[in-house]
Amino acid sequence: MSKRVVSAPHDLTTSSGFILPALVAARLALALLQPFDLTHDHHLSSPLTSYANLQEGIYLFKQDIDPYSGGIVRHSPLYLTLFTTILPNSRFSAALLWTLCDALGAYAMMNIYRARQGIKTSSRDGLVAAMYLLNPYLFLPSLALSTSSIENALVLLSIMFASQRKPSQTLLVYAFLLHVSLSSFLFLAPLLLLLISEPFSHLASPRAFSGDFKKLPPLLGEFAVCFISLTMASTLISGGFSWIGQTWGASLTLPDLTPNVGVWWYFFTEMFDHFRPFFLMVFSVHLLIYIAPICIKFQYDMLYAIFLLAGILGTFKAFPTLSDPGLFLSMISLFPETYPYLRYPIVTSLLHLHAALLLPLFHHLWLSQGTGNANFFYASTLVFACANGAAVIDCVWAGLRIAIGEEKEGIVIAQE
Amino acid sequence: MDNNWRIRLRRRFRPEGDPNLVRVRRRKAIVSAFSRRVTFLRLILLLVGYIWMVALPYPQLGRGIYIDENALQPGQVNTYWGWGDVHNSDRYLDDLERLRDSNATSEQRAQYLDTEFRKIGLFSSTQTYQFTSQDINGTNTYAILSSPRAPGVEAMIISASWLSRIDDGNGALNLRGVATVLALAKFLKQYSLWAKDLVFVVSDGYLDGMQAWLSAYHGTIQSNLEAERLEMSSGVVWTALNIDYPGHSFSHLGVFYEGLNGRLPNQDLMNSFHVICSRMGVPVVLYDHLDPRSYPDRRKELDWLPEWLPGALRNDPEVRAYAYNARNVWRHVVHQASGRGSGVHGLFHQFRIDAFTMFALPATGPHGFHALGRVVESTLRTSNNLLERLHASFFFYIMTAPNRFMKIGNFLPSAVLISVAMMFTGLKEWSDSGWTQETLRNAEKSTETQAPGWTRRPRPVLRALCIMISSHLLGVATYLLMNSGWDGQNSIGGMLVLTMACIFAFGVSAVCSKSDRGGAAPIASVLKALNLCFASTIISATTVLNFSLAASLAVFLGIPLSVSSTSKNLPLRASKFSLYLFLSLGWVLKHERLNWNWEIMGVWLLPFLWIVYFPLVLQAGIVCLL
Repeated sequence: MSKRVVSAPHDLTTSSGFILPALVAARLALALLQPFDLTHDHHLSSPLTSYANLQEGIYLFKQDIDPYSGGIVRHSPLYLTLFTTILPNSRFSAALLWTLCDALGAYAMMNIYRARQGIKTSSRDGLVAAMYLLNPYLFLPSLALSTSSIENALVLLSIMFASQRKPSQTLLVYAFLLHVSLSSFLFLAPLLLLLISEPFSHLASPRAFSGDFKKLPPLLGEFAVCFISLTMASTLISGGFSWIGQTWGASLTLPDLTPNVGVWWYFFTEMFDHFRPFFLMVFSVHLLIYIAPICIKFQYDMLYAIFLLAGILGTFKAFPTLSDPGLFLSMISLFPETYPYLRYPIVTSLLHLHAALLLPLFHHLWLSQGTGNANFFYASTLVFACANGAAVIDCVWAGLRIAIGEEKEGIVIAQE
Repeated sequence: MDNNWRIRLRRRFRPEGDPNLVRVRRRKAIVSAFSRRVTFLRLILLLVGYIWMVALPYPQLGRGIYIDENALQPGQVNTYWGWGDVHNSDRYLDDLERLRDSNATSEQRAQYLDTEFRKIGLFSSTQTYQFTSQDINGTNTYAILSSPRAPGVEAMIISASWLSRIDDGNGALNLRGVATVLALAKFLKQYSLWAKDLVFVVSDGYLDGMQAWLSAYHGTIQSNLEAERLEMSSGVVWTALNIDYPGHSFSHLGVFYEGLNGRLPNQDLMNSFHVICSRMGVPVVLYDHLDPRSYPDRRKELDWLPEWLPGALRNDPEVRAYAYNARNVWRHVVHQASGRGSGVHGLFHQFRIDAFTMFALPATGPHGFHALGRVVESTLRTSNNLLERLHASFFFYIMTAPNRFMKIGNFLPSAVLISVAMMFTGLKEWSDSGWTQETLRNAEKSTETQAPGWTRRPRPVLRALCIMISSHLLGVATYLLMNSGWDGQNSIGGMLVLTMACIFAFGVSAVCSKSDRGGAAPIASVLKALNLCFASTIISATTVLNFSLAASLAVFLGIPLSVSSTSKNLPLRASKFSLYLFLSLGWVLKHERLNWNWEIMGVWLLPFLWIVYFPLVLQAGIVCLL
């Protein structure tokens, strides 16, 4: 363990009991005050997660018009039915609900950390929660009422249940998550593997996969039941299968080229139409190819594999918002044992600092001030992608490097 | 022979032995070569950056202007503005002078202008406005000539403010500018070739009137502005020409182009204007800068080169070209970095309208209403040709002479190099703070004689970050304090801020020195590293937004932040700290002006200075105290 990491948050440990409530209260106050209207910001919500589109869908749904007949609503029917039945739908309740999601996310992070350490309560709880609630990449989309905050909470909840080894809850939450965001498919394999293995850190002592593969088929079956029943529910709710193309299809066919912080939109604005299907396939498959290698290499620590896949998803997703890379960055706080082995944390942080300044700046130059053009914003999304990529690569390195132990004078590791 | 060459090449790139070992060795060699030279490298970068900045006016760095947008076709039309229209202008001028002599109020003036516009047959209206925070009010007049050939979704503005820019809006009247606008309205009404609406605006005051009019036109809400709603509106405004003609006649037309917050208009517009003027035989200058080379008899007043320079140098054509360009660039940097812009045209830029002021340089001749009218007519015809907005690539430039400019690639690197040098300094400080040379313990343990080993030590990152964040919060607090009810009491506010900064700095250093842990890196070096990295990021991000501001930051932060260091000697520490304090707060002397710009026009330099600049320098001061 690093001396730096352990000593630094020392001041926070004593007060970890009230950090979570205090931060949630502050967040709630901010959400209720709503100093700026962020709901239309391109960084904070994508066409798939935008609050305005959700409202449009809810309105059409209430009027008995098929929300999926137009090209605007890309939210899952599950959202539509939840917001028209059990969940109240107003700006005030939205502020409450989104804050609740963040609080849930922070709570889940805390529990994941506890489960990983195998203890009931830890001194870093407050810090872990703060890392989630104070991360600007996470709380700004939440203030913008982007549904990506809900998705993040679902991701963390499913990981939490998996690390507490509660299969039914995990699979239900995960099936819901997969419904509302198809790209979360990346988490399926590691989540199931985490359920049958254990969440404890084995990064420093790699070994073969410890779980029992025989437990896998029933889990898969249970997941299939959850998923299919949700699918049928969605179909019943929306009265047809048109929602599939509009919601799941959107993240595969990229019908909306509204600029966002990811790397897809510009690429496909520049592309000739007859190349589109091919490159859509390449971009989608590119996401999938990471699953197997990461799950195999980190077979002794599935939680770490999930963490890395979250980073890859945040970098290369079809319609990302800031909360996708934000989730990955906040999850770093779950793995303090790797900190001393990070190779270039300062470079990654500086890249992120640059990206965080350049993204809104170039967005402003292009769309408000009019002195720049789309290339400017695209350049800043590239910086952002580099920052995220650097973070992922460094975390992969640290996760592998930790197994070899502390560096000794005159000994160098050439290849892990 | 051939084979031999190949083997040698292969050996060079793939030497024999363990490839991993070779790779590790090579990497170590590169890293150590780099880290040995990093001090030298950053000195070179700083030097090159500053020299580049000084070299910006050098004529060879720029190039001649050209028209990028082919649709503009400047100067390709016959102009019809004639002596009859000049006569009209003179009659309007007579009326305006009568109004001036009778000390007419804003309403009376607006009433007169409104009546005249109506007589011409235009839809005309007035707008009253009031800035509640500063006790500024007035009445604007505007008239709209609907396009005969298009549905009026686009518009061009011809404007004149009541006060001229000649003394920065302090009282000189722009009567001839207003008369030109009236006569132009009468003249342009006769032609049916306008594809865009023409909006004639005579704004009251200097900047305030146009700000109120533009805010109302675009429906933006400004909390301290009570502006009457506009009765009429037109389309999206693409271009605006602002006429400033304070003198009796003029010799040159001066171009003023810097907008609010460092935004510049599309260069094509000014280039077209330049082409048109040269076709019409009206000489163009930048700002009100006459070229001393053209006026040998007025050299004393126009040339800034000191007289004690040796004659050979002072009369060298390169030096004189440099001196002339340098004056233009300096003026540009002052206008752009202050964010205030260089005149009424600057207000248009915030709404994506390309605008500039043509300033009739007061002289005894030879030009007057005739030349001005023709130039404006032709420029309007040129912007009338536009089918789409001007291109996005022509917004980043520095005009070095009326017909020469610098492309972005030729000036941007100067500030970026300095920011890179700061980044390297910060990174070096960072890596130095993470290692310590363990001489004693190693010597005890090791039996053989070896160089003292380097061991890692933890860095108090979180504490350094806390200091940085709290100093920026202090910046926010001081900004709020100074902007709430300290009107006219800036000296008291300034003293208060000074005290707060001192208390903060001493408090931080006291807390940090008390809780210093053994073995950890000194907090001063971590703070310095992070401070430099952050400042460098700020500078390089600002370059595309407002180059002059970034360059000024590079000058004010580059060396000072790099050399901040603590020392054992208490008086030395205190004096260093007070120097940094002066650097961080010296600009407060201009607070009133900056505050006016921020409150009336939304120039964000003031909050930027409070929330970004002041804390950054204060952090360097704290580094000296620790």
